[in-house]
Amino acid sequence: MFPWVYGFQWSFGYVLFLGIFFAVAAVVVSTLILAAWRSFSAFRRGRVPLIQWDSAFHDLPPQERACRHDFTGELSGRVCERGFDCRECATHAKLLQVHPPEPAPDLIEVSGLAIPTDRLYHRGHTWAQLQPDGSYLIGLDLIGRRLAGANPTFTLPTPGTPIIANSPALSLHRPGAEARILAPIDGIVLETAPPNSNWLLRLKPSPFLSTRHLLSGSELRAWFARELDRLQLALSAGEGAPSLADGGVLVDDLAAGCTPAQLDTLCGAIFLDE
Amino acid sequence: MPSALASAPAASIDRRFINRGASRSTLARFSLWLLPWFGLLALGAYAMYLCLSQGLFHTNMDNRYAFGLWIFLDLTIIALGAGAFFTGFLLYVLRNKELKAVINSAVVIGLTCYSGAMVVLAVDVGQPLRAWFTYYHPNVHSMLTEVTFCITCYLAVLAIEYVPLVLKNRQLKLRPSFLVFEWELHKLMVVFALVGTLLSFFHQGSLGGLFGVLRGRPFVFREGFAIWPSTFFLFILSAMAAGPSFVALTTWLVEKLARRRLIQAAVYDTLGRISGKLLLAYVFLKTIDTLLWINQTAPGRGFPAHRFYLESAFGTWMLFAEIVLFGLLPAAILIRPSWRARRGALITGAILACLGVTLNRFVLTIQTMALPTLPFDRFLYYSPSWQEYAAFGAIIAYAVLVYSFSYRYLTLFPQERELALSSKRS
Repeated sequence: MFPWVYGFQWSFGYVLFLGIFFAVAAVVVSTLILAAWRSFSAFRRGRVPLIQWDSAFHDLPPQERACRHDFTGELSGRVCERGFDCRECATHAKLLQVHPPEPAPDLIEVSGLAIPTDRLYHRGHTWAQLQPDGSYLIGLDLIGRRLAGANPTFTLPTPGTPIIANSPALSLHRPGAEARILAPIDGIVLETAPPNSNWLLRLKPSPFLSTRHLLSGSELRAWFARELDRLQLALSAGEGAPSLADGGVLVDDLAAGCTPAQLDTLCGAIFLDE
Repeated sequence: MPSALASAPAASIDRRFINRGASRSTLARFSLWLLPWFGLLALGAYAMYLCLSQGLFHTNMDNRYAFGLWIFLDLTIIALGAGAFFTGFLLYVLRNKELKAVINSAVVIGLTCYSGAMVVLAVDVGQPLRAWFTYYHPNVHSMLTEVTFCITCYLAVLAIEYVPLVLKNRQLKLRPSFLVFEWELHKLMVVFALVGTLLSFFHQGSLGGLFGVLRGRPFVFREGFAIWPSTFFLFILSAMAAGPSFVALTTWLVEKLARRRLIQAAVYDTLGRISGKLLLAYVFLKTIDTLLWINQTAPGRGFPAHRFYLESAFGTWMLFAEIVLFGLLPAAILIRPSWRARRGALITGAILACLGVTLNRFVLTIQTMALPTLPFDRFLYYSPSWQEYAAFGAIIAYAVLVYSFSYRYLTLFPQERELALSSKRS
């Protein structure tokens, strides 16, 4: 195998055969080292939260990666390839110029849910609301809150923690189910919510904050309708699971009526935590 | 491991490791399914222990009949496991994204096939503690050396390809280091796909080539191109043709056992189409090769070809079955879109294609060993001992067990959840 090993010959056959073998082994080993180095580099640069989201997004089925312009009917059947991050999406920018978002009433009703439009919504069922002092409140939307149920337990980041849009920022714990919840915007945690608040975090936004990836105004109706449809499908996916009848209203504590397995599936589907 | 996890009942722990939205049988039913396979594995392990500790007299092989059931098993499962390299090549190199639906399953199939082949080869060769000799003092003029190096390297590549699947397990991916490494490794998978293709190309070929160069066995000796006999190329082509069929067949079997759809019909169609086209090319070349052998090679070695088929056990029906029944027929089924569209026909074609490659490997090992090599030689008979059957069964059991655990706890079929949801929607 090596020149100093008994039987080795400096012949064409030996050099060719062992040369190919060592080249293959070197490629395999160096690729593994490259993967390990890139992983180390990702940790060092703080890219881990983004990779967590990229990985989860990569695993979503195409119908759950629908573009926001698909459910508004502008680009039917379009699937998002950018991790729901419209901030850098050229198509989204063009469509915004053609069809600027229309204002919506203060409250819109979708299947019995009264959706406030004074805030911006994230595809992972969180919202961000600008406060007069320039900070943002972060909370779960109506579907998220009903899924979390009456007495949810959250693991929240401590004040001072930087969080990145689309990365897991907090987690929800229910008996039999856990879900990581995605941050809607970039920022630094200023405070966590006192008990019984309708928000969870107060953030100091990043100086370069862009909220173009968040949903607002007239597109909310179509998105919530689609999400309720997705919720119903996820509910009926389990055997013998209770499912919503058409025209029914989402109960306040959805979690209470589900088995742990169903709740687990629902949390994964709705909070995009695959 | 958190204490809450350790104190939870087994079923609850089991559920935590199953991916979200994946519907799986209860732990009790799963255990019941595993039980007979573990029994078979244990019996085979005992048989292997007997052979390794006391010698190959436990088998019915001898100096004349040196290739038996185990080599047949090795060649067959390595051919059927070719779906792993070929699917990887089509997906990562030729960018056939449809095959993303089966690549994980193909990797598990490849890994179990190759690791199973290595285990049974270690028992067959014996003296596993001296296995490093073949690497440290290689005989570079032997095709078996090339096979040994390539299979070892490719098994390492398959193990690396399997790592991301394991790290994507629901509990393991909660560890950021695992998830990030999986993500980075996955991005470099094209390199492993290319290396796997190179290695598979050569070891599949050399496995065939080592029969083709047997000048003393006119039944398998073939002329060829440069240093490679025709069997070198036929082995590569037949493995590439059977691999996608075996992936389709395995998926269909799992669908039947799990009672749910795992891949879209279009993926079956793609696998069938690829398999059919390659099979047709293989049958064409195999026919030419056989005609050349009948008319030139065999008579040139002093044996008219018909003499090899005088023994009723291995009559000309074997040749007919190999080329027409398990070659041309499945190729015709798989290549025709309207037949391929019917699941029953497609699976029949896939079964026949897999049987074809199995029969081909049987002919090259068992039949070759049985036939006379000199005009005054007699036909040899060989029947495997129980230890050989048990070791054979153990490899099958091992493959089923690894696949079963992988299916339960890993994402082998990314379209599974999507299909479950769409069936509800419809």
